[in-house]
Amino acid sequence: MKPRTKLGTLAVAVAAVSLILSGCSSTGGGGSTAGGAVTHVKGAPSWCGTKKISLALLDGFGGNSWRLVTTASGKDEASKCPSVTKYLYADGQGNVQKAISDIKGMVSTGVNAMVVFPDAGQAILPALTTAYKAGVVTVPYRVFPGGKAGVNYDKWIGDDFANDGNNWAAWITKNVPNGGNILFLGGPAGNSQSVTEYNALRKGLSDKYTFIGETPFQPTNWDPTLTQQLLSADIAKYPKIDVIVSDFGPTLVSALPLFPKSGRSIPALATSDGNSLSCFWEDNHAANPDFKLMTVATGNDNVRLAVDYAVAKATGGEIPTADSFKGPIFEDSVSQQPHGVQCDKNLPGDVYLSAQMPGATQATLGK
Amino acid sequence: MADATKRETGLLKSSPVNVSKGLITIGSATVLLLIISGIFAPSSISPTSLSAMLPVASVLAIAGLGQMLVVQQGGIDLSVAGAMSLAVVIVTHVPDGNSGMLGPAVLLAIAFAIAAGIVNGLMIGGLGLNPIIATLGTNALLYGLNLAISGGRPRITTTLLASIGGGSTAGMPNAVFFALAALLLVAVFVKRTVAGRRFEVIGDNPRAARAMGLRVKLHQTSAYIWAQLLYCGAGILIAGITSQPIAYAGDTYLLPSVAVVVLGGTSLLGGRGFAIPTVIAAIFLQQLNQFVFSLGVSSAIQIIIQAAALAVGVSLYTVNWAAIWTALTRRTRAVTP
Repeated sequence: MKPRTKLGTLAVAVAAVSLILSGCSSTGGGGSTAGGAVTHVKGAPSWCGTKKISLALLDGFGGNSWRLVTTASGKDEASKCPSVTKYLYADGQGNVQKAISDIKGMVSTGVNAMVVFPDAGQAILPALTTAYKAGVVTVPYRVFPGGKAGVNYDKWIGDDFANDGNNWAAWITKNVPNGGNILFLGGPAGNSQSVTEYNALRKGLSDKYTFIGETPFQPTNWDPTLTQQLLSADIAKYPKIDVIVSDFGPTLVSALPLFPKSGRSIPALATSDGNSLSCFWEDNHAANPDFKLMTVATGNDNVRLAVDYAVAKATGGEIPTADSFKGPIFEDSVSQQPHGVQCDKNLPGDVYLSAQMPGATQATLGK
Repeated sequence: MADATKRETGLLKSSPVNVSKGLITIGSATVLLLIISGIFAPSSISPTSLSAMLPVASVLAIAGLGQMLVVQQGGIDLSVAGAMSLAVVIVTHVPDGNSGMLGPAVLLAIAFAIAAGIVNGLMIGGLGLNPIIATLGTNALLYGLNLAISGGRPRITTTLLASIGGGSTAGMPNAVFFALAALLLVAVFVKRTVAGRRFEVIGDNPRAARAMGLRVKLHQTSAYIWAQLLYCGAGILIAGITSQPIAYAGDTYLLPSVAVVVLGGTSLLGGRGFAIPTVIAAIFLQQLNQFVFSLGVSSAIQIIIQAAALAVGVSLYTVNWAAIWTALTRRTRAVTP
């Protein structure tokens, strides 16, 4: 047994030394190209460098149409760069443990870069840090995972939700100039996206505007059935609602008909886009004189900026200067700028025409 | 704690007619709630508010009736969430906006419901597995099917289904008529048919029923199949009421479906089922929601009010108030000279 024990000890020692050495050699995510010369693949976008890499996209929860479009958008963006030779995807299915083991699994398969939707927020941070320390370019996006860039990950590419709030406030000031009652419907209670939007809205609107209902927002969990119940209670309670603001417009579609049912016009609506909502506006605006609609892009393309950043850092391309996604204004039924309301009745209701990916392509996803 | 030791008869001893304790309790609680709503949040009983509350209450009532059949057999069905969500996905995804395909989609949803019911029934009634574990497994299976069919993505409800499920007739939401039909079906089946009477006897005392020569396993299995059919109906209704439902729409009905059964006076240990009180309990729970929404208090307070109302409701059945009262008054008498 003795020689075997010795052999075993030697093997363990070699493994330990090699681990220590590998630990020394990698000082954290994508160190290989940081500060190095920028390379570029001809004919590809500037963020596409020449070094061949494999890229992984990881979702915390992939089970709805918004995520389906977002995931496909990420893949589409990566395909613009020929240096990305392998593209992998994993869905945490709403399970934090699975999301963590997905990240660690991707690290052990040797991916060079990963773009992560950290649904579980801070709970994912240790796994992100492990990936970053192992030398993988790690780019969380949209949801803030805590931690710091350069310590726990390479860069967080957020969505500028305050920008959405500012856009809504400016539109309300212009189109409902005499002030009025504003009802803001947000996501789950306490979520940072809706709170940020509310703060920007509040700041951007003068004292002529009163927020009715619960503040900072009525928590709808972004669930259409709950939205319907809440809105019905609001319609019954408040005889005067001048503007409804919501950060997930399509959930309102089943609730809005309650206005005409109770003999009132659907009020002005400042929200995010979705084909079902746009088509609802097209069918109902004639009968509802106050029903003006403005939408901001719902942000499927947030992932594209995150992919650009991760690929640039890992392949040695030019790193994008933008550090967060600013959802542009998409539709405005009044000024028709940059677009009038975009309804395509030949497409399913749950496609997002504000996304770069064409609606017809979105419609084929998940089939 | 009468419930923990023996099955309740659930009948009022003092009443000359056959009125269940559940009907009196939940009926008066609902009336009280409506009065309180009228005083503190009048908007919560306005026609607009009621027209939104009743369809959701109807969905909950139908799901609750399904749960009641299972609870009567001493079981519990946690696959209600998966079953309702699968029905939502099938009736939106298969037609994909084409109302002409709605009929086949509904038939397909029913076929899946029957299959799921058979799976549950065979595992619990046939193999004697624990209903919590078995139905939890079925729930996962149904969600697997849900994702396989839809990728987690339901389509928009067809216009036909939206007008049937979400429309109204003579000012009354159509969903209410569906709930009444389900109530009639269950009440008549359980109380007026031979099979229904056997069903209750088996739930009350399976051993005695077996000794009498009744087919216990068959009846227990059938409870799960009927329950699945009712969940399927509830799921189709959600799709009609909500124009763009989510693929997990059934999740929010899991615990309320058990709560309405308990509030309606059916014992979790099995035995007699009380269909009408179960439906009234569904209205009670939804009106309670609507009331706290209308109060305009923060969501934290809303949840506390709902929890307190549930605790009071359940304690009316499980705590032996008469015994407590007697004990208290006796002690007082003993103290006074």
